[in-house]
Amino acid sequence: MALPLHARALEGDGIFCRVGGDPGTFTPARKRTAPPERRIPERAPAAGEQYRFHFDMTRCIGCHCCEVACNEQNNNPPHLQWRKVGELEGGIYPDAQRFFLSMGCNHCVEPSCLKGCPVDAYRKDPVSGLVLHNADACIGCQYCTWNCQYGVPQYNNDRGVVGKCDMCHGRLSAGLDPACVNACPSGAIQVELVNIAEWSANFGEANAPGMPPAHVSISTTRITQPEMPLMRTDEPRVGREHPHTPLIVMTVLMQLAVGMIATSLLMAEPKWTATVAFGVMQIALAASTLHLGRPIHAIRALRMWKRSWLSREVLLFTLFAGATSAYVGTLWLGSPLATPAGIAAAVLGVAGTVASSCIYLVPARPAWNMVHTTVSFLLTAAVLGPWFSGQFYPVALAAAAAQLANELVKYARLSRSNEIEHNSSARLLAGPLFVLRLVLLLIPTPLTALAAEFLGRYLFFVTVVPRNVASTYFSVKEAA
Amino acid sequence: MNLKRLLGIDNLSAQYAYSADPEFGYMASGKIPDHWVRTTCGYCSVGCGMRIGVKDGVAIAVRGDENHPVNKGRLCPKGLSEHYMLRAKDRALHPILRGKRVGWDQAIDTLVTQFTRIQETYGKQALGIVSTGQLVTEEFYTLGKLAQVGFGTSNYCGNTTLCMASAVAGYKRTFGSDGPPGAYEDLEKADVIFLIGANIAENHPLLVPRLNPKATLIVADPRVSKTAMMADIHLPLKPRSDIALLNGIAHILIETGMYDAAYVEAHTEGFEDLRRFVAKYTPEFVASLTGLSVERIVQVASLYGRAESAFIGWTMGVNHSTQGAETVNAINNLALLTGKIGKPGSSPFSITGQCNAMGTREAGGTSSLPGYRKFESAEDRADLARLWNIDVEELPTKRGLAYPDIIEAAAEGKIKALWIIATNPMVSYPNVAMVEKAFANVEFLVVQDGFHPTPTTERAHLVLPAAIWGEKDGTYTNSERRCSRANKAVEPPGEARTDFDIFIGVAKRLGCYDRLFRNWTVPRHAFEEWRFVSKGRLCDYSGMTYELLDEHGGLQWPFPEGAKPGVKRLYEDGKFEHPNGKAKLYAIECQPFPDQPNEEFPFVFNTGRTVEHWHTRTKTGNVPILERLSPHAWLEMNPVDATRLGVNAHDRVDIVSRRNRVNGVVVRLTEIVAPGQLFMPFHYAEHNSNLVTQDAFDPISREPNYKQCAVRVEPTVKTVGVKK
Repeated sequence: MALPLHARALEGDGIFCRVGGDPGTFTPARKRTAPPERRIPERAPAAGEQYRFHFDMTRCIGCHCCEVACNEQNNNPPHLQWRKVGELEGGIYPDAQRFFLSMGCNHCVEPSCLKGCPVDAYRKDPVSGLVLHNADACIGCQYCTWNCQYGVPQYNNDRGVVGKCDMCHGRLSAGLDPACVNACPSGAIQVELVNIAEWSANFGEANAPGMPPAHVSISTTRITQPEMPLMRTDEPRVGREHPHTPLIVMTVLMQLAVGMIATSLLMAEPKWTATVAFGVMQIALAASTLHLGRPIHAIRALRMWKRSWLSREVLLFTLFAGATSAYVGTLWLGSPLATPAGIAAAVLGVAGTVASSCIYLVPARPAWNMVHTTVSFLLTAAVLGPWFSGQFYPVALAAAAAQLANELVKYARLSRSNEIEHNSSARLLAGPLFVLRLVLLLIPTPLTALAAEFLGRYLFFVTVVPRNVASTYFSVKEAA
Repeated sequence: MNLKRLLGIDNLSAQYAYSADPEFGYMASGKIPDHWVRTTCGYCSVGCGMRIGVKDGVAIAVRGDENHPVNKGRLCPKGLSEHYMLRAKDRALHPILRGKRVGWDQAIDTLVTQFTRIQETYGKQALGIVSTGQLVTEEFYTLGKLAQVGFGTSNYCGNTTLCMASAVAGYKRTFGSDGPPGAYEDLEKADVIFLIGANIAENHPLLVPRLNPKATLIVADPRVSKTAMMADIHLPLKPRSDIALLNGIAHILIETGMYDAAYVEAHTEGFEDLRRFVAKYTPEFVASLTGLSVERIVQVASLYGRAESAFIGWTMGVNHSTQGAETVNAINNLALLTGKIGKPGSSPFSITGQCNAMGTREAGGTSSLPGYRKFESAEDRADLARLWNIDVEELPTKRGLAYPDIIEAAAEGKIKALWIIATNPMVSYPNVAMVEKAFANVEFLVVQDGFHPTPTTERAHLVLPAAIWGEKDGTYTNSERRCSRANKAVEPPGEARTDFDIFIGVAKRLGCYDRLFRNWTVPRHAFEEWRFVSKGRLCDYSGMTYELLDEHGGLQWPFPEGAKPGVKRLYEDGKFEHPNGKAKLYAIECQPFPDQPNEEFPFVFNTGRTVEHWHTRTKTGNVPILERLSPHAWLEMNPVDATRLGVNAHDRVDIVSRRNRVNGVVVRLTEIVAPGQLFMPFHYAEHNSNLVTQDAFDPISREPNYKQCAVRVEPTVKTVGVKK
């Protein structure tokens, strides 16, 4: 069939098409041993043992079956992925390699999600060692999504609660392999038993390129990795985080109320200032519940005050609210108890503000985990309190100057840090909004001061870059 | 969101509960069906067995079939989410005539009226039919009869020409017939596995676990593909230098006496010509053409030559070439020289693309008459005419136009009506401008597809909504010639009908039903006739029944009556399908690809696939989890080139060829492509690589040369390191 073939172009030695030489190695970077016959342990964990994942990077071919199988197993919508596959690359063409990291929950020895939870929705199962989450106890505060440096707990907006990988414990206990393990064509994911004490003493195999440092929570996932040095592929791109608008409103207004109550103690006629502060506090409290996936159960947040800074914040602000009510009531009644009530309110308010800031001091979010967070929260009270009390403006101006300094020092530290999350936060921060925030701080009016603090808090939330497992070059990141 | 949910009283715990499925165990209760339907995957030609979970008439889950011999329970991400495409929002629901919804009677009446009017005006051959590799064999068999005899046009081809035509033509030239000789079991038994232009880890993931872990895996690919990353030896050869490599290996095999002289003597012809021809393909010469080292070329030749058993697999890196069929011949040369064919672990083997490309090759009557009967053979035509009880004059004496020639003929106004079935040329055809011209020039364009709108259905005068995988019965035949059952699990949506019913409806209206399809009501009737027609042929299905297929998870042909199930290989006795029983060795010159780079178009542009998507994404683009995993196209570029052009990661660039441009493609910087080369996935209509690819075709197979074309890159949008 002699049909016209397009005329052949110039012959040539392909000078525009450089190719490399031969790969320098005869040893394949990947294993091609037969997939293991058995992918889960023969027996249940003994005392002192727990289940853990083993992920073998040298077996994984990057087919993404585990991710799809996980979502099918758990009936999760596509934007929730309890198992995610990330990418790492190394080498120079043609000796280049791409490896993959398939990660579910690491079922840590010291789970950060569990420690922060205000409602005790998490438990580390005493028999299996699995970190299990109870959706019925959860109130959807999402604090665990900030605490986990692996991005494991994910907030399900449809349900108003968090969910996470439970290693398909229902399948495991029936002798079946988890969905991801089962779906893997090359047997790269397995479940193993690990001695908790031995692992806690030596968990080097939990660390790998693209993984946050394992010591924070003692991840139990064992990772078999190739010998070549590997780089993340997702680093050039950093996304803004969720602004958490109810929390912006809540924290700024609560700090405004605390500042006004404290200021009112120095005033001759504190009645109206205290009353306005009381009103502002009510708005702040109402806003705080809007952050919850299940606001009806907000009261449960008090439960874990011995362990969780979130519970402590709720407790202290609840007491602050009570003391403020008493303060305002006694002021209007002209009672002599007004001053002690006011002092109590101010102390509780400041303590609540400190507790509030401590929520954000988590290793998984390095740009938050700095003294500047606490300083900033307290200075917000100091800037706004005097302005909205109508007195002591020099205090407000001094506080604004301190706030400005705090911001600049924080920015300098972020941008000079060796930590990638710090640098990335600095990159996100640097921009017109940050400049506007600083300029607004310098303008001596109440409304610009308030605007400066709202804007500052917005930037605080959106420019934090969480630690996370390496994602793919094109991963769609979900704000936590 | 209701108030109870807003307040948090309700947390949808029922929707997220778990319970135990009797067959697959503990899983989300919402995924537990009323019953599971056994079937075969409808994407690629690996042919994985699977189960579709049906609840209240809706497919809600898919699981691998643990008893299936091909995949042993595992699936790829497309298979694992295949049920979502059945409920896709873009399914075609009603016949649409010139933008208006019409009934089936009017639709079929219009089709037949228009086609016959055009055929009466311009001649029978003015009707062109382009089918697919996605239907069941029963439908291909029916369509072939309807096209060649019913409508009397031989201008009937399939999108398989964009895919496996080079393998078909190469097999025919070497062995005298189409038909991949080996079996997947050969992957498990081979000592050396040589993959050329085949990225199985991306495109056929379920073949990866079949690879013999002890075998030496050699992968020839200009890009460090996922498969190249697994290789013991990766050969990063220059684009389109594979023929030089194959000739160089042949040269070494012959010069060093590593070939099987007895086998060559007994079973092949053309050895002396080949020996003289490859004398010039010395390792040094081959090294200069391929960019590989002499030592590496010699090593690969020795590994292949000395291996007890060796398997050569290939896919589109070989087929998508103006020398595709010839490259297949050069591959077959190696197998014949060493006698590594028809034995456990040894075969040259095309790893097919579509789920049932094999079915249309064997039964569809496109590249040959059903049963690999040759158009040119009077004996074959007489045989088929007797079986079909028709006048032998009704059968064409030569093959009609191939797919690209149908398109070019339509563009030139020689073909006036087109019937496009289950394919999307507006995205998949090289240099799409030619298809636009063809569509603009035809008087009547019918597009029959499971999805609407697609870039192709949008151009149609008449859209016929078709049932797809999971909605109809029949059989698929996979790469290793294994015929497996595809079973109906759910009803098609809207008014969509099976392609079988559409063809039968057209035949009735055309008036050829009683003559060609008497008493056919279900696909099984076509299968029974096909069994009969294939009897005694190389692709002998005569011993297969639906019941046997169900029982064994598919059966490999040849399967004559009385055959025992088990692994089947072709040419075990060294007897080939050429009239003299010998296979032919070919002297194949390594020629440069046609669209060479120069200073204006300095890059070599290569296209391919990603594991998450299928073809033009009409199916997988409707599967949310796959869209999430791979949401848009990208261009892979080496950092060396990016630095030179001032391009950063995630920048957007335009890709410009001598024909057209693709605008705004996101750059992925990676060392897995060579400097000077680019790679882009072809799945995305939104950023269609086939705007720039070249419509140059293999003169033998008519397969397009998708794989290499010259482009330049123009940076457009700079990212500032921040994702918007």
